[in-house]
Amino acid sequence: MLRYLRGEIYRLLRKKSFYIYFGAFALGYVILAFIRMGSSGERQMLKDAESLFMFLPPVVGSYLFAAIYTDDLHAKNLPALIGFGVGRIRIVLSKLLLMSLFGTVLLALVPLFMYAVHTVFGASPTGAVFGEVYAWGLKALMETVAFASLSAVAVYGLQRATFGIAVYLLLSLGVVSQLLSALFRWEAVHELLPGLAEHLMAGISLRMLMGLMGNGAVVLPAVEYAVYVTVAAALAALAFHKKELEF
Amino acid sequence: MAQTLLQTRGLTKQYGSFAALNEVSLDLQKGDIYGLIGRNGAGKTTFFKCVMGLAKPTAGEIEIAGSKSGLNAARRRVGFMISPSFFPYLNPKQNLEYFCRVKGVRDGGETDRLLRLVGLDGVKKPFKTFSLGMKQRLGLAGAMLGKPPIVVLDEPINGLDPQGIADIRAVIQQENRERGTTFIVSSHILSELDLVATRFGFIEQGSLVQEITRADLHERTKKSLIVDVDDGEKALLVLQSKWGLPAAKRDGNRITLEAHFDPPGAIAHALVTEGVALYRLAPQETTLEEYFMHLIGGI
Repeated sequence: MLRYLRGEIYRLLRKKSFYIYFGAFALGYVILAFIRMGSSGERQMLKDAESLFMFLPPVVGSYLFAAIYTDDLHAKNLPALIGFGVGRIRIVLSKLLLMSLFGTVLLALVPLFMYAVHTVFGASPTGAVFGEVYAWGLKALMETVAFASLSAVAVYGLQRATFGIAVYLLLSLGVVSQLLSALFRWEAVHELLPGLAEHLMAGISLRMLMGLMGNGAVVLPAVEYAVYVTVAAALAALAFHKKELEF
Repeated sequence: MAQTLLQTRGLTKQYGSFAALNEVSLDLQKGDIYGLIGRNGAGKTTFFKCVMGLAKPTAGEIEIAGSKSGLNAARRRVGFMISPSFFPYLNPKQNLEYFCRVKGVRDGGETDRLLRLVGLDGVKKPFKTFSLGMKQRLGLAGAMLGKPPIVVLDEPINGLDPQGIADIRAVIQQENRERGTTFIVSSHILSELDLVATRFGFIEQGSLVQEITRADLHERTKKSLIVDVDDGEKALLVLQSKWGLPAAKRDGNRITLEAHFDPPGAIAHALVTEGVALYRLAPQETTLEEYFMHLIGGI
């Protein structure tokens, strides 16, 4: 699995659009900070973090998801990997690890970058603000990885990049969550299983965020999250295992 | 005794009631360049897909390099190209280096050697801009990465120009000769396989109809003699009464004498003496294509 991970990291780091995409975002943020020069401060940085990390799963996450999961389908690389003896379960697990790894690196870098930009433009955020920014980042990271693991079921089950990305976008833009919330609010369902909406990914990550800020438990949402990702990965592996690969 | 590197026994793949592979038992021996011959849809790609773990066989056994269980590990000793599959944004060297990492191959100049071998050294443009011929060449290099003892190539010369075909043939022969690499190659360009393969397997409607060595094939396809006469029935009787010739075939007034029975002077004399008018007496060598068509009942 390590060999495969090494190969994938090599490939992703040589993808030019990877740098162009993130470079454009960074440049956009610097320009925005320049335009707002003078209003930089702790509160602004927190507001920025909230907005930025809200967009991270659909905007940045979808790019990462496509690069990590669906490039293989475009390149018809999965048959080559399996033919070389890389097991299907290993592929599914490696992709999940890669998504977590790249997401974590992003999570680590984005607040540092924001800190640098705000410092250049006159603010000096405290450690507490920094911690809060990271908590928002963690929420975004959790959602990105969970949505990717759920969308992987479509990627490996259907072997169509477009379907995989569409599922990811529906999940990360909250469309699925809205539909399910509406269903859970329906009286018959609500009476039978009250509070079901809290157990959707948005609810779990929000409870996790609250917990990290000292306003609730952390363990329960963490366990729920682990179950979510594990079940999704198992379903993806099962869908992949049954799938005959075409060229 | 030759070492068997790849063996299948009763390999079957059913899609509903359709048998894409029907009890295929094939042996690939060390040093072979095995030509797998079959029409489109005969089961060649399905066979490769089962061997490479891309499709699960309905029944039967696969043994790779002596291993029946743990085939995933054994497959690491097999290089293959079913369709050149590379990342479009990476150049040929980067694509090979990706697979070096995945296969655990310590490069040590291996990617450069392969790129030189297939004529792609120094090419910096990304895979997405490649012509079909360049893609096939890189596919071949990818299959040979890490010097695997077995290389599987499905239609490696599809869409190539004559020079490209000759180059790929030369690479296969060179690797086979210098490194002892064993190849299993499918193609429906039979004249090309005839130039390169040392053993042949003929597959039709999912069944392996025949396995034959190059020497045996050429023995069987050796010259035959076409005899055109005015009275085929009488001529056949004359020839059989004189020489036996159980393999002689008559199609109207044409008689084909198989199995290199080739004394034209004596045949002409015997027929004319018995009052049969002889119109044509022509030696003919059966091509691989004709042999294949004859074998599967196409002609």
